[in-house]
Amino acid sequence: MTCGGFRVRYRDDERIFDTHLPMAGLMCLLCILGAIPFYASTYWLDVLNRIGIAIIGAIGLNILIGFTGQISIGHAAFLAVGAYTTAVLEARLGLPFYLAIPAAALVTASFGLLFGLPSLRLKGLYLAIATLAAHFITTYVIIHWEGMTGGVLGLQVPAPMLFGLALDSDARIFYVIFACVFPAAFFAKNLFRTKVGRAFIAIRDREVAAQVIGVSLFTHKLLAFSISSFYAGIAGGLMAHHSRILFSDAFTLLVAIDYLAMIIIGGMGSILGSIFGAIFMTLLPEILKLAATSLSGVYPQSFGLIASSRDVIFGLAIITFLIFEPAGLARIWSRVHTYWRLWPYAY
Amino acid sequence: MIDHLVFVLQLLITGIAVGSVYALMSLGFVLIFKASSVVNFGPGELVLFGAYVSWATILQMHLPLYIAFPLTLVTSIALGLIIERGVLRPLIGESIISVIMVTFGFASVIRGVLNMVWGSDTRPFPALFSSEPFHLGPVPVSPVHLWSFVIALLLLGTFSLFFKYSLTGMAMRATADNQQVALSLGISVKGIFALSWGIATVVSTLGGIILASVRGGVDFSLADLGLKVFPVVILGGLDSVMGAIVGGVLIGVLENLSGGYLDPVFGGGVKEVAPFVILVLILMVRPYGLFGKVGIERV
Amino acid sequence: MYRKSLVYVCSLVLTLVGFGMLRPAVQAQGIIKLGNLVDLTGPTSDQGKDISQGRIDAVQYLNQQGGINGKKLELVSVEYGFQPPRAVAAYKKFVEEDKVLLVLGYGTPDTEALRPYITKDKIPYLSGSYSGHLTDPRQTPYNFPGGIDYSSQIRIFLNYVKETWTDSSRKPRVAFIYADNAYGRAPIEAGRAYAKDLGLELVDEQIIPTVLTDATSQLLNMKKKTPDFAYINTNTQWVPVVLKDSLKLGLKTTYVVNNYGFDERTPSLAGDAAEDVIGIADVAFWGDDVPGMKTLMDFHKEYHPNDTHNAPYMRGWLWVMVAAEALKRSGDDLTGEGVKKALESLRDFDTWGLSQPFTYTAEDHRPTTKSKLYIIKGGKLVPTRDVEVPRNPAWLGK
Repeated sequence: MTCGGFRVRYRDDERIFDTHLPMAGLMCLLCILGAIPFYASTYWLDVLNRIGIAIIGAIGLNILIGFTGQISIGHAAFLAVGAYTTAVLEARLGLPFYLAIPAAALVTASFGLLFGLPSLRLKGLYLAIATLAAHFITTYVIIHWEGMTGGVLGLQVPAPMLFGLALDSDARIFYVIFACVFPAAFFAKNLFRTKVGRAFIAIRDREVAAQVIGVSLFTHKLLAFSISSFYAGIAGGLMAHHSRILFSDAFTLLVAIDYLAMIIIGGMGSILGSIFGAIFMTLLPEILKLAATSLSGVYPQSFGLIASSRDVIFGLAIITFLIFEPAGLARIWSRVHTYWRLWPYAY
Repeated sequence: MIDHLVFVLQLLITGIAVGSVYALMSLGFVLIFKASSVVNFGPGELVLFGAYVSWATILQMHLPLYIAFPLTLVTSIALGLIIERGVLRPLIGESIISVIMVTFGFASVIRGVLNMVWGSDTRPFPALFSSEPFHLGPVPVSPVHLWSFVIALLLLGTFSLFFKYSLTGMAMRATADNQQVALSLGISVKGIFALSWGIATVVSTLGGIILASVRGGVDFSLADLGLKVFPVVILGGLDSVMGAIVGGVLIGVLENLSGGYLDPVFGGGVKEVAPFVILVLILMVRPYGLFGKVGIERV
Repeated sequence: MYRKSLVYVCSLVLTLVGFGMLRPAVQAQGIIKLGNLVDLTGPTSDQGKDISQGRIDAVQYLNQQGGINGKKLELVSVEYGFQPPRAVAAYKKFVEEDKVLLVLGYGTPDTEALRPYITKDKIPYLSGSYSGHLTDPRQTPYNFPGGIDYSSQIRIFLNYVKETWTDSSRKPRVAFIYADNAYGRAPIEAGRAYAKDLGLELVDEQIIPTVLTDATSQLLNMKKKTPDFAYINTNTQWVPVVLKDSLKLGLKTTYVVNNYGFDERTPSLAGDAAEDVIGIADVAFWGDDVPGMKTLMDFHKEYHPNDTHNAPYMRGWLWVMVAAEALKRSGDDLTGEGVKKALESLRDFDTWGLSQPFTYTAEDHRPTTKSKLYIIKGGKLVPTRDVEVPRNPAWLGK
């Protein structure tokens, strides 16, 4: 229990973990996660895997939108580029997955650079619309470049091989995915302790002032897009290995909106928020599905009604959060956290 | 040679016809943006709502046209007011990304509610217009398309006059320009917002009726067309009524021309992506569109 | 104000979670579970609604009749919005938690995505996708298309062209119009090859988007090649757009539509443009004079008289009936493999007249290669001829 902060060095100010408790908590979490694949059913592992992928994607998007203030609706396109590039690199060039995924992420990052170019001229709404166009153009290319992507018939992804062991089950992919999640989260957290990260935040807060104090908009905006797309590339590559077959249907505009909802509900400008948002948005449909399935077990005729309520619940969730807690789950968490941190000596 | 000319002419006229449908949908978007600077990322769902309600009143409740039509319009005005009051008013002053997301949110809700109430199967839409095409020279045009063009022009005229000369129209422009000053002049900003959403939903409903007539049936894919609104409003200018109409027609024409000429080259699908390529090009060259007001960024 | 709303939201979430936990605890002996995958919110939700309703109704009916070999059927339904990742997640749940014996699948992307899984887990997959790629047991041993496959349908079209062509001075010209997705493209390769075999001139192929509002530019391009016949391979919602635009542009082409593009609604959706359009039917239409129709109509009247029903509804019933028959035949061997063998034992299985008789064998997963052609005359669907293509083993999997 900490009562205020007594720090004598700048380094202490910048620490990610103030006390030992969060560090211990994280170690516990790692142990639990390490043990889960031995006990959980494939279904729940699949859910956890999807959460892991979503976390990486959401952190990437948050870096771009939450921290740098550049609105992008094209995230699904970047995921698609990452996923298909990974699949193509492995299927055609025979690269092992631990090379293919980073390589694909680099390709996606340069792609992000390309689509970040409009951000130098456009702001806010116009940038959002430009990224919307980018999404459609990318989807078009994926569907029609059949030689590379298999077009509408889908692209098979070979199973990742590690030391001769095929990582083709949810349990095994789980380790790969979460081995990426933790470094991704830490990198992002660390990014905002550095000069580059602070430049991003400055651009978000007041672009012109940032320019005045010497932050190069050109470099940093493009860098934000690149880093964000790099994350999307990793998430896409993991997605490719998780689902083992890629269809362009998996990368519709709805996916981009899902990710936007993740960071908004989770909390923009917060890494923890991205994590919460990713968990929330992935679990919400699952809970709905469980409710629909069990209710329709009892009242079979109600299935259609409940299943189509998914859109309503999704929309209501977004609207409710935006109206009542625009800063998202992260803010709710920090309120709860603050309350208990000093309990019972709240004042 | 003559054949070729007819081919081009056909594409042009179809483009204008289809484009006027886009123009109607975009008009709703522009009206909202013009009055309240809110970007509606769910224009398709408003169109969908209009189509379903008009279908329901005509075919499900079997009301005669002169009751069904006003009823549909009243319902859509109600929807507009609900959206404005319930969803957008609490978000005044929030960041643009929040507003964009909330429009996605209620678009989802509208879609879900329509699905729950009426289900997702295709319902035949009553034939409000005859299907006998009439000929503009060598080019056949279906009456639906002609009507949509006429309605688009009528609305263009009405709204241009409205915004320029009527007191309410000027009040709307004032609100869009600077809310605080408008408030200080005694303009009810809340009323203006409500009005703009009401009008926008009515226009979207008209668009929905036309679209459903073109398709022959109502189903959920009508909403997907909503995204075509963006190339139109970027081309025309986000806050320009004239821009919505002209932009709509232009996009329709460009789309059809690229479909006619580029589809055989690229093996299909170009028609769908062409408007978005155009969008990107315009954004690079002239972001405020043909008729949009150039925004000045103040520090 | 903030705290109150937080309390409401939390209680809502907890209630939903509570419902989720409220699963029928009986994983008992007396229940057979079937997985039901359906799209109610995505691009094919039009078909999905009736398919889902048909399946639910059929299961309810069968349970009222006493179930299968004394056991009740339970449908575990999941809506997946036509997104393959959700289908895969749903499947994993079907297999792990619900232990289903058979999955009533849906569209081409999910069927393709789940192929490796169902083969490994040995779960028969009765799909709404009739893709020819699913018909070869050597490649897809556990996939069973629920109707005459798309490639056979396109061959039926080409046969029809050949049989009705009377002008001996030249070869008939044919064209394909198909949707820009896996389902639309499925039979095109087979169609090209067969057209060449029959000596027909394939003059044009036009691609239309999945969601179609205007086909003028595509049809204008097709008009230049003046095809005599054209095959349309897309869904019921969008075929009318092609037909209406074709009528408007004055094309003199006869259209034949695949089974998913043609049903009772086509005349009312397309109006005059539907006249003389021919469709390939895989199921009976609502109100047809077949033995099973009375059962369906009675059930419908009892449970949802205000709904309308079209061909997809019949399909839903049909697939459940086929699955039920297989379950009945597998007797005590209620495993995935057992059900597969039972399905492969169906020979000319009579589906109450709702469709052509079904025959699956261990070498051939095509349920039938027969169909009825219907022509639209005066706004009504009129059966015009019975057609059949041979069960050529060379065509398996194509």
